[in-house]
Amino acid sequence: MDFDFSDDQVSLRDAVAKWVEKGFDFPRRHALAKAGGFSRAVYGELADLGLTGLVVPEADGGLGFGPVEAMLVMEELGRGLVNAPYAAAALVAPTLLAAGPADIQAAWLPRIATGEALVVPALNERSGRYRLQHVSTTAKPQAELWTLSGQKSVVPAADEADEFIVTARLSGAADDTTGIGLFLVNKAAAGVSVKAYPTQDGGRAGELILAGATATLITADGWPALERAVDVGIAASCAEGVGLMDKMVAITVEYMNTRKQFGTTLASFQALRHRMADVKMQQELGRSMSYYASLKLGEPAEQRRRALSQAKVQLGQSMRFVGQQCTQLHGGIGVTDEYISSHYFKRLTMLEMAYGDTLHHLGEVSARMQDTAGVFA
Amino acid sequence: MDLNFTADELAFRAEVRQWVAENLPKDLSHKVFNALRLSRDDLQRWAKILGKKGWLGYGWPQQFGGPGWTAVQKHLFEEECALAGAPRIIPFGPVMVAPVIMAFGNAEQQQRFLPGIASGEVWWSQGYSEPGAGSDLASVKTRAERQGDSYVVNGQKTWTTLGQFGEWIFCLVRTSNEGKPQTGISFLLVDMKSPGITVRPIITLDGEHEVNEVFFDNVVVPANNLIGEENKGWTYAKHLLAHERTNIADVNRAKRELERVKRLAKQEGIYDEPRFRDQIALLEVDIVALEMLVLRVLSAEKSGKQSLDIAGLLKIRGSEIQQRYAELMMLAAGPLAQPFVHEAMEAGWQGDFADAAVVAPLAGTFFNMRKTTIYGGSNEVQRNIVAQTVLG
Repeated sequence: MDFDFSDDQVSLRDAVAKWVEKGFDFPRRHALAKAGGFSRAVYGELADLGLTGLVVPEADGGLGFGPVEAMLVMEELGRGLVNAPYAAAALVAPTLLAAGPADIQAAWLPRIATGEALVVPALNERSGRYRLQHVSTTAKPQAELWTLSGQKSVVPAADEADEFIVTARLSGAADDTTGIGLFLVNKAAAGVSVKAYPTQDGGRAGELILAGATATLITADGWPALERAVDVGIAASCAEGVGLMDKMVAITVEYMNTRKQFGTTLASFQALRHRMADVKMQQELGRSMSYYASLKLGEPAEQRRRALSQAKVQLGQSMRFVGQQCTQLHGGIGVTDEYISSHYFKRLTMLEMAYGDTLHHLGEVSARMQDTAGVFA
Repeated sequence: MDLNFTADELAFRAEVRQWVAENLPKDLSHKVFNALRLSRDDLQRWAKILGKKGWLGYGWPQQFGGPGWTAVQKHLFEEECALAGAPRIIPFGPVMVAPVIMAFGNAEQQQRFLPGIASGEVWWSQGYSEPGAGSDLASVKTRAERQGDSYVVNGQKTWTTLGQFGEWIFCLVRTSNEGKPQTGISFLLVDMKSPGITVRPIITLDGEHEVNEVFFDNVVVPANNLIGEENKGWTYAKHLLAHERTNIADVNRAKRELERVKRLAKQEGIYDEPRFRDQIALLEVDIVALEMLVLRVLSAEKSGKQSLDIAGLLKIRGSEIQQRYAELMMLAAGPLAQPFVHEAMEAGWQGDFADAAVVAPLAGTFFNMRKTTIYGGSNEVQRNIVAQTVLG
């Protein structure tokens, strides 16, 4: 049991932090959000750092790193409030592709690693909420390819992506976990259209409409890969949440030690000090469960699933509490668009909805409870 | 980064598990698993079994006859004892006063007091709180006046846990009124058989006699029972508080009690009722998160690379969780949480209504647990401490 980072891991973290500090200040971020929420240039800079190939195997041109490195990168991207579809495209998408045959991996992973191809998962359907087995998009064989019909919701950077990884039903009813295929769909393919929008947290997403769109099959047994990829997404969200909370708390502490009311700093009022102690509690519980999430990714599916849902329940609560309370502790300035903390708050709030919200995952934890419990259960 | 214990640590755990399984009397674990009343004899029986093995002072260095375990080994030992249903080690001797005697006592005091603590023969009590000094401990008023080779002690201690069994008591006493309140306090060991000591029970809201008032009326204490220097007692007391870090969260016990919540909910037919089950699931997440927090502290202690000053968080969270599981158990009992039967806490009592032995003790445990957010520095005092580390 050891929660220290290796020297290489610290170097990686420092490299990301340095890029944020030098290349991604708040005015740039703010302008980018106002301009629609996505910049291929920013994504290219992440690629230049090697980050788009972080978890891609070395044989495919990546760095071949694992969950702990991904966690460190996500923490820093969170701290820097980086609005790029990094987790979806660089962590979740390669996990889905890993379920495919060698030729598909060889065709896509190197281009993902260099940042040349922006491949995003399109997994959610409107009526399924967070239930990823709810797949009503249909797949029909056509020669060596397939045609897909249906609609996917809140797809990251939908109108800027090059390729989508889509779930579609090969057989069974809408909520069966069997009969779900994973497919690659090119944005330029016939029958593909996108309605994009900026998101509350300064990012970009969209609805993906498939009307007999041509697609390539990755795997006809998509469920295990889908569950695994979503767990990767949960761990990434948890780590990003930790970075966001760290920075938002730091901003709030500084403000409370500067701002004066009734002739003294906010930091001297016990009601506010106790609130901050409660914030610190949620921050540290969140960090603990983010570690837990990343360190449990290598477990067998059943333990992994339970652990990742436990983590998302904790982070959901922590992010909400820290975001809302740090906003409250600021007073009026905290609810303005011009001040940085409101943007941390919005990202923390939206992140609860990434890969399943607190109630969804509480249901998962509840359904998966065993007689014994604990970190090693 | 690695979540798993090392092979050596796992081997150590297996050894402890086997030993506990072979040596923990079944009547004791039955009482612990069902939160029934433990007598003085019950508590001391287990203490002496551990003492004989050399594990009662499980946190002690080898120099003083302890096992010299690492922080992780201590944690694993606590976990194995808790999960097996061992009575908790009454901390006042082996966990609280012994480290102070080791760090600040002289050789004569170490030889005189440590063997009786290590073996479990001598029952120690804690004389800290007073009617006017609760969370504000530095305002203790019990006076110790030096007269020749002795101190004469006058005053009152309170909330003395299991003081009715105490043979010795370690006290914070006032030896000076000069300067700040903290600077005039001394650390004194008092034989509870001394003339002038009166112990009076305080009956708590659960009807139990767990805590006491201890009165000192011209009690003569040999001066060689003073630990360290006069007026330095506050420093020693703080050392004692710093000595126990992860233990305060009591997460291993929480894991055992979560299992009991589930058993009770199943028995009461509400485990599959979503509204109740989700509350258990939330508690399970809280307990896993607390365990991770504890493991992070252990890892930091082990490597020394990062400092984690979060003892206050462990106390707050641990105590909140203790109250929550006790509350869920009481709620699981439903309307039958209401009977207040003193005998219900005794092993073997069956009662004269359905499932009495199972449901009747639950509300008592809930009421008993209200102490946890109050004692050991109330949770509000802990929040002051946490806020200090965050806001300065």
